[in-house]
Amino acid sequence: MHELSMASNIIDIAIHEAKKRNATSVIEVNLVVGKYSMLGLEQLCYCYDLLVKDTLLKNSKLNMEHEDGKIHCDKCKYKGPIPLKEELEYHIIFPTLVCPKCGNPAEIISGRDCYIKSLRVKK
Amino acid sequence: MTKIVEHKEDEVFDIELEESILKKNEDFAKKNSELFKTHNIKTIDIMGSIGSGKTSLIEAMVKRLKEKYQIAVLNGDLTTTIDSDRVAKHGVDVIQINTGKECHLDANLISKALEDMELDQLDLIIIENVGNLICPGEFRLGAEQRLVVISVTEGPYMVLKHPFIFMEANVVVINKLDLAEAMNVEFEKLKADVMRINPKAEVIGTSCRNDKGIIYVIGALNLS
Repeated sequence: MHELSMASNIIDIAIHEAKKRNATSVIEVNLVVGKYSMLGLEQLCYCYDLLVKDTLLKNSKLNMEHEDGKIHCDKCKYKGPIPLKEELEYHIIFPTLVCPKCGNPAEIISGRDCYIKSLRVKK
Repeated sequence: MTKIVEHKEDEVFDIELEESILKKNEDFAKKNSELFKTHNIKTIDIMGSIGSGKTSLIEAMVKRLKEKYQIAVLNGDLTTTIDSDRVAKHGVDVIQINTGKECHLDANLISKALEDMELDQLDLIIIENVGNLICPGEFRLGAEQRLVVISVTEGPYMVLKHPFIFMEANVVVINKLDLAEAMNVEFEKLKADVMRINPKAEVIGTSCRNDKGIIYVIGALNLS
């Protein structure tokens, strides 16, 4: 629901970095999107394309790479993918913070964030 | 002669960044959190669906806690002062934060609100987030605890449909239990759904209208 402001953040960061290095344009933005971030990727691309007009990012490509979620269990030291549970009756698959090894509560260690990994710019 | 290597015109190069697009918010959240710690203020971010009873819960909590704590309440909404007017009747400090069009509060808005507050005089700040079970989860405000409110009138699938926000909460309140039978919604089932997603969360049933269950919420937040 907040894709417009997130797209605007991406563009602000990219412009700031490009200017710092005297680049004249940004060709590609490489984004890593956590599977458990709350961004709608189609809306994000749509907003991005609207906002890059008349900026250094005009005609640039927004590449997206997905990052899986991982959890860590303090008790048994399990580290691995966020387990998924299914409720077939309602066609729902939902993530759980229950450790798949010992059943204790675990913490999310990755997959919540969305970050710019790199930029490809032109001097 | 010294050999000089120069950038050619039109040269393309990569900039490695690893910068989170939420970094700006996280930085403000960290600043807020440090400010709360310096002033020894307990803080709770109350998130939840529209009409689930966030304001009613805050009113009920404030009634019981205002003798013990110096309280300020920040009410987030798109527009109007309806919620803050309700809370203000209980004689605590209130600030309405209107986001205009944004679907959530962010740490920057909280930081702005804090500028006008006498933090030395306070020991509890309750923040009512914008009614929404999706976006507020993504934007930490710097509050020490996060509570999610849903109610039985939203039906039996609210938790499983919005798992992410429940992962963020340390306390979950299921409100309007007085209407559970009429709605044919079971508290135990909703509670079990929360526990399957986030086994660390404490789940409490309330009926804010009848002042039921509030002491357990206060206990779960370590405020009693």
